[in-house]
Amino acid sequence: MTKTLDAAPAARRRKRGNLTRWAQGGGLHAVLFAVPVVLVYAYFSWGPVIQGLILSFQKTNLIQPAEWVGWGNFTYVLADPGLVQASLNTGYFALLALVFGFPVPIILAVLINELRKYDTLYNALAYLPAIVPPVAAILLWKFFYDPDATGMFNTVLGWFGLGPFPWLNAENSAMPSIVLYATWAGAGSTAIIYIAALATVRTELYEAAEIDGAGIWRRIWHITLPQLRNVIFVMMLLQIIGTFQIFTEPFLFTGGGPNNATQTILLKIYNYAFINGDFGAATALSVLLAAFLGLLSVVYYFVTKRWSTA
Amino acid sequence: MTKLTRRHVLAAGSTGAVVALAGTAACSDPGADGATEDLDPSADVDISVGDQPTEDKPEELAAFNERIDEFETANANITVDASTEVWEAQTFQAKLAGGTLPTVMGVSLTYSYELIANGQVPDMTEYLDELGLTEDLNPLALDNVKDDDGNIYSIPTGLFSVGIAYNRAIFEQAGLDPNTPPATWDEVRSFAQTIKANVPGVTPYAQMTTNNTGGWMLTTMTYSNGGRVQNDAGTESVMGDETIAALQLLHDMRWVDDTMGREFLYDQDGVRQAFAGGTIGMVLQAPDIYIPLIRDYGFDPADVGVGALPQGGAGNNGTLTGGTLKLFDAKATPNQLLAAAKWIKFYDFDKYYDEAVALADAESNAADGNPVGLPGLPPVSQEVYDQYLAWIEPHINVPLEQFASYTSSTLELIAEPPAGTQQTYAALDPVVQQILTDEGADIAQVVADANEAVQGIIDQAAR
Repeated sequence: MTKTLDAAPAARRRKRGNLTRWAQGGGLHAVLFAVPVVLVYAYFSWGPVIQGLILSFQKTNLIQPAEWVGWGNFTYVLADPGLVQASLNTGYFALLALVFGFPVPIILAVLINELRKYDTLYNALAYLPAIVPPVAAILLWKFFYDPDATGMFNTVLGWFGLGPFPWLNAENSAMPSIVLYATWAGAGSTAIIYIAALATVRTELYEAAEIDGAGIWRRIWHITLPQLRNVIFVMMLLQIIGTFQIFTEPFLFTGGGPNNATQTILLKIYNYAFINGDFGAATALSVLLAAFLGLLSVVYYFVTKRWSTA
Repeated sequence: MTKLTRRHVLAAGSTGAVVALAGTAACSDPGADGATEDLDPSADVDISVGDQPTEDKPEELAAFNERIDEFETANANITVDASTEVWEAQTFQAKLAGGTLPTVMGVSLTYSYELIANGQVPDMTEYLDELGLTEDLNPLALDNVKDDDGNIYSIPTGLFSVGIAYNRAIFEQAGLDPNTPPATWDEVRSFAQTIKANVPGVTPYAQMTTNNTGGWMLTTMTYSNGGRVQNDAGTESVMGDETIAALQLLHDMRWVDDTMGREFLYDQDGVRQAFAGGTIGMVLQAPDIYIPLIRDYGFDPADVGVGALPQGGAGNNGTLTGGTLKLFDAKATPNQLLAAAKWIKFYDFDKYYDEAVALADAESNAADGNPVGLPGLPPVSQEVYDQYLAWIEPHINVPLEQFASYTSSTLELIAEPPAGTQQTYAALDPVVQQILTDEGADIAQVVADANEAVQGIIDQAAR
């Protein structure tokens, strides 16, 4: 009994001793050193996030005092007849980009990696589109997509008796046209990451496979892709998140048209905020998108975790 | 001397960090809100004014700065800080909300009702009365910047109504009379067919459809057919047969006549560029298209023609008005608001009353290659305006005879839809796009859906 009674103060003493030792050992200074960084990060990075969350429950034009409207902004954006179309368009873009755009940089990386000569030159060429600023590139592609028979793509296709195609000027071809551009613009920078990852694949594996008589396709299928698996999973997640946030391309190419065929979630958010001046609705839809992407990331993590350990 | 240990460095570093943080916290200024201060016309006051010409227009800039000097001499208590801030649709809402706009600057008149309803503009009645400015202003224009109680919130300037711009060279090639622009929609259609038959490679008639211009022009066409998009009170969406007729015409010109080219995603800049490229026969525009055509794109002034808005139905239905309003900062102090109103009176209106000022203004504009004497609706009464035009007559460099059909028009001037104007236009963009890209579109159904969408916007605006 006495023993247990004495145990508590002894533990406290030990604890205090630990704290003193921690402070004397530089722990306190370390915390103080971290404080500015944490505060700056909190202010500039988390501050806007929290501010956005608060705005989504308010009606405000930032001039008049804000009014709390509860879930009003959320019900408004969810009841917006254009939301379904924008979500479907965003999903459609994500799907097209995944099916057609995702393999391109992998293929590009493998091809460049297989080259024995001038690989730096091809590296540079593949990366070139990433250097062109998106606004300039999109203006350039607008010329390529000129719907007249004299447009650049239509002229080239005309040599083979194809077209002229309306490209951005028809509901069914506008989104694929944007995906084509996005793939061209994004493939280079993604390919660079794959090339870097490929450099870490041990060459003995290929040599062993070659000795065993494996051709190039079997080497790619059985060595390259499994070795790149983790990078591919991360890149896929980044691409999915990226595609759900597509804005620049439809904004500059079509403004969401024709007839809302390229209206995306982010373009809607932009229009709420900067055309309508309805910051509450804009942040409400942003919060919904963020929640959806967060959820998607969690699901993706668990699904691919099983695959990558399999 | 003691040796510097790791602990010393840590202690000095962390103390420094804490001190620095405390310093930045002390520096932050919550900002002054002086809206409660009393009006004192003689108190020292600083204001900022937008729309200062940029350095690539040296003559205009010099003239602007000279006017500021004159203003400051005449009003010793006012200090003017000029800014090159100009209205841009894409950044306006953010800058307005962020409070980074000058005390006064020009903004599209479209925003007027919205800004008033949202409390984003100060009530200027008192200051304008004090300066005697209200009597001078064109009462028709003033209606655009008043609330239901008659309070005035801004000053309208640079007014125009929508007409039809046409390429006179293309008209000549097509065998059409360049001095006779189409007066009805039937003529627009037949002129377009004539152009198509005689001038290959051009778009006979182009329509704007993106960045809210589609809705803007559909509203204009609805007006020209005698209809409305919203009722006058802005409580109901009322598009009907007149809007259907406008869309039916566009549909037939696109799909039956094929006289609208292949590009259906034009906005204002895009269509003006294409017009300057000589590939567009006709397009709905206000006379201000002349400014970028000549100044920015080097288009031949002899080829520009602007006519009155073509009319449908029985004719003489009306056209849509637009223009610029002088936006005052809602957070400015009463003294700043009075000073800013004085500046606008001095800078934008003195030229209508003072011949020397009118001449100096016209000279500097002409020297910089800007159009002088461009037709538009006067912000002041017609007599005052006519006198002003007589003063600057020797400097007028716009071929006014090419605007004759526009200037002689007596069409009723109809204001923009009052509730959620830009959102209403935005909601109507896809309507026009659909008609031009989907041959089988059910026009009546499209208009019914559009009414529903606009009603939603009206309800949200009234929330």
